[in-house]
Amino acid sequence: MTPTTTPARSILEDLRGDRSERPPRDIETAAGLRATLDAELLAIRSVPARTSPLVISASDVTHHGDAVDITHATSGRLRGALIGQLIRLVAVGHEIIDPFDDALRAWRLDSPSPTLIAAYADLDANGRARLATDVAAHAASLRRALADVPSAWAVRTAVRARVPLAGGVVVLHDVVDLVVGSYCDASSSTVLLDVTTSPIGRSATSLLGFHAFVHCLRTSVVPLRVAIFSTATGELISRDVDETWLELAANDVLDVARRA
Amino acid sequence: MSATTLTIQRVSPDAIARVIDDAPLEPFGLTDAHRRALAARLGAITTDHHRRLDSWLVERGGRVAARFAWSPLAARRLLGSGGFRRALRGRAASIRDGVRDEIEDLLARAASGRAHRGSLGDWLAHRHPAELALVQASAVEWARILAETGATVTGDWTVASADAYYDVERARTTLRARRDLLVLDGEVVVRVRAGGPTPSAGPGLRADLAAAAFAHPDGRAPRRYVGIWPDAGVILAVDGTLANVRAGTRDLVRATIALHRQGELRAA
Repeated sequence: MTPTTTPARSILEDLRGDRSERPPRDIETAAGLRATLDAELLAIRSVPARTSPLVISASDVTHHGDAVDITHATSGRLRGALIGQLIRLVAVGHEIIDPFDDALRAWRLDSPSPTLIAAYADLDANGRARLATDVAAHAASLRRALADVPSAWAVRTAVRARVPLAGGVVVLHDVVDLVVGSYCDASSSTVLLDVTTSPIGRSATSLLGFHAFVHCLRTSVVPLRVAIFSTATGELISRDVDETWLELAANDVLDVARRA
Repeated sequence: MSATTLTIQRVSPDAIARVIDDAPLEPFGLTDAHRRALAARLGAITTDHHRRLDSWLVERGGRVAARFAWSPLAARRLLGSGGFRRALRGRAASIRDGVRDEIEDLLARAASGRAHRGSLGDWLAHRHPAELALVQASAVEWARILAETGATVTGDWTVASADAYYDVERARTTLRARRDLLVLDGEVVVRVRAGGPTPSAGPGLRADLAAAAFAHPDGRAPRRYVGIWPDAGVILAVDGTLANVRAGTRDLVRATIALHRQGELRAA
């Protein structure tokens, strides 16, 4: 795990690293992980039989018991959703003039969850003003970190995964804010970046592991690196992905399945 | 009659190439008798308007979707494919620029009064710059999926410029075969889908296969129809066999009957 404060140049540039130092892509590990996990999940989930699949997402592997996380607060979720939209706009070179207005317009067009729509509608004028100020501050941190994303880079945003396991008994759901690189490259080049508007918590390792694991199962290729950036603190934590770490992430998934 | 088949693979850098390479060499060919039989079956299901049948209708069991409205998700296929084509042809420096150019062309059409009401250009013309950027991001996402898919294909491929259509004679019906990448001049057709495959994904692919066979001037079915669900990391494929084309045609007819019954219920 490599923690740093916001670097002078784009964090994406740092995360992509030196092309010549990238290892060859690993297309062997995913099949083994999947086979092991499928067998274990089938053993866990066979009794009692469920009619609908068990859906496991990042929040399931990062929140244990009654641990409180400020991202769960409605205002935090709203802020996170709006910053998520700004990431998408920045990635296509949109010049952000008014962060809150831009984020709000994009968010409204992007079929937001009814819960968050209701939460926003319930905010009074002061609440909306506070949210706008909050979003502007986080947007400034985001823009400093991402800088200008070159149009030639293979950048994808809000990358969704819905990976069925054990014949569909369990489904892994995930959304990664930003993915750079392609799983088709001969060398390992895919970098996953999660952006949080909260300080980075103790569960970051599990979260990053889950992102890497789901991406690996979805593409059958081990990603190069996975990172989390906090717009609240400017902290960036990155980690190179290896087989051992993916096995730990698989164990996290199994733990959730056992508890369910 | 031989059984229908459905090939299932996990997405990986070489899986798509493998699925394409393994496609049967001699696909099934429709005759005029098949076309006449389809026209008779669909013509017998009366309609007071022109209807369009596709895999989406089959996958929904003939249920009509809610009224169409443009959204970033609805626009991404058209804009993403167009932007990617521009980049491939060297008319844009990157996919991102290609998609931006697609949007700007549509905006220019709308500004000059050439966009129909309700068209994509008309919808885009009423969007704020931030909303346009979101539409662009969504389309770029689509285009990158196509690019990654294309990068794994070993044979010649192109981005489909349009879906394939077949007007069924005297039945006021058009069949539509959705297609995203055409490999080896359309001998293999690739579709990219969002989310995960549902139990009706196989019938949907067979419906596309049948519609594509009818749309071909010589009635020639694609050797294989490939569906890719990148979110789930799953590839499904159906071969251009007699059994699969028949099953696809039968499901299209069944969906039409279900559609007709819904219309009767609404009218009652």
